[in-house]
Order: sequence, then structure tokens, then C-alpha cells
Amino acid sequence: MAVQTELSVAAELRMDARASELAGARRYAAEAAAAFGLEADAGYDFVYAVNEAVTNAIRHGSPDEHGQILLSVRAAEGRLVLSVHDRGNFALPTWPPRAGREGGRGFALMERLVDDVQVRVDRQGTTVTLTTARM
Amino acid sequence: MPAFYITEDVQPDGPVVLAVSGEIDFEVSPRLSDCIDGHIKAGHVRLMLDLSEASFIDSTAIGVLAGAAMRLRKSSDGSLVLVCNVENRKIMRIFEIAGLESTVDVYHSREEAFADLAAAC
Repeated sequence: MAVQTELSVAAELRMDARASELAGARRYAAEAAAAFGLEADAGYDFVYAVNEAVTNAIRHGSPDEHGQILLSVRAAEGRLVLSVHDRGNFALPTWPPRAGREGGRGFALMERLVDDVQVRVDRQGTTVTLTTARM
Repeated sequence: MPAFYITEDVQPDGPVVLAVSGEIDFEVSPRLSDCIDGHIKAGHVRLMLDLSEASFIDSTAIGVLAGAAMRLRKSSDGSLVLVCNVENRKIMRIFEIAGLESTVDVYHSREEAFADLAAAC
């Protein structure tokens, strides 16, 4: 049974590490943003950043033994915090991207769209944590 | 939420117009890439992508557009331009934040894009 936070959304979402599940990840992030009370633009930005983090985990990370990655969300001190965890240890892309290079934009976009982006790589895998404050 | 869909309009003398609607994420950006590559391989090197009906575009799709625009620019008569209605604030905002307008020409209507392309010929 899902653990409930004060956000009235499930505190965790385990999702299959497949691109076809990205829409579900965006719905989860949108529900959290709405429950937290982000305004429309800030909510869109938050959902966008979450989509980028989940896309990175699917493309470059490693799922668990069930083929899944973990999203978790919480509200703390007026901030909405969502983490994306996978079992891999992908290297951060170089920034800025070279002209004509097709990748490397995801993290730059995340940093522009939420207040804080943290990447933690340890023996358990990679966790990208996105934080945004209520205006 | 409208589904991802590409409408292709191939005119004999003008650019190929690809109208892309719905959410363009990593699930479907390879299809967008394949579509663009297919036209380039068929010799259609002038492309106009209209994203006015798109509701979401992620960094992988932006990379597809920027990469194709750079490749086409290197060919003698190739080009890729984007069209997006200014009222589509979600897409315009992401273009702006991604700095896409420094790589690709963005117009606010097809008419504006056609006029500019005609003037350039």
C-alpha cells in the first residue's frame, strides 16, 4: 500500500524504465505539483524537469531487478522535493553542449526550471533530486 | 491530451511542411527523427516544422531539431525552420530556455516563414 504524504499523492512511484511510461511520470509530477499548490507555470516547469530526470534514468541509468526506477516526492519547509533513483552510475553530460551536438541539454534545462538540482551517485545508484519552492 | 502525430505536406516547389502535434517526449522523438531523416534521404532538404499544436517538447526532441538544422545548413540549399504560434506559450518558453532560437530560425506563422524563405531564394 502506498504511503501517503501531506501532498495527498503517493509518496513513491515505481515505474518500468521504459519510454512508454514517461507520460505516467509526468502525470505523477503534475499531481504532486497541484497538491503542493504550485501555480500553473511553475507546475509545468516542475513536470518538465521531472520528465528530463526520468528520461535520463531510462536512457543512461540502470533499473532494479524488476526493470523499474523509483520516484519519490515529499514536501519540506515550503519546498516540493522529487527524487528519481536508478541503480546505475551514469556520468554527467558535459555542459555546455557543443554546437550541433544533439544531447546534453537535459540538465541545463532542469537547472533553469527548478530551484535546485542535486545529483548523488553512490553504491546504491544515481539519485537526481529536484527542488522547487512555492512562490 | 492530444496524441503525438505528424502531418506531412510535400509541395513540389516549396519546403516540406511537417505539422507535429501532441506531446513530443523520448518515447516518440525517435519517430520524429526518422521522419526528418527520411525526408532528407529523399532529397527534401528544405523542411518547415510547425509545432503550434504540440503541447510538450523534451530535450531529446529539441536535440533532434537542432541536429537536423545543423546538418541541413551544411548542405548548399538545405534548411530547417520552425513555426510556433506565439499563443503556444509552453513550447515558446522551452525554445527560449533551451536557447533554440540561436540555432534554428523560429517563426510565429507558416505565412511568415514562407515569406521569409521566398525572399531568401
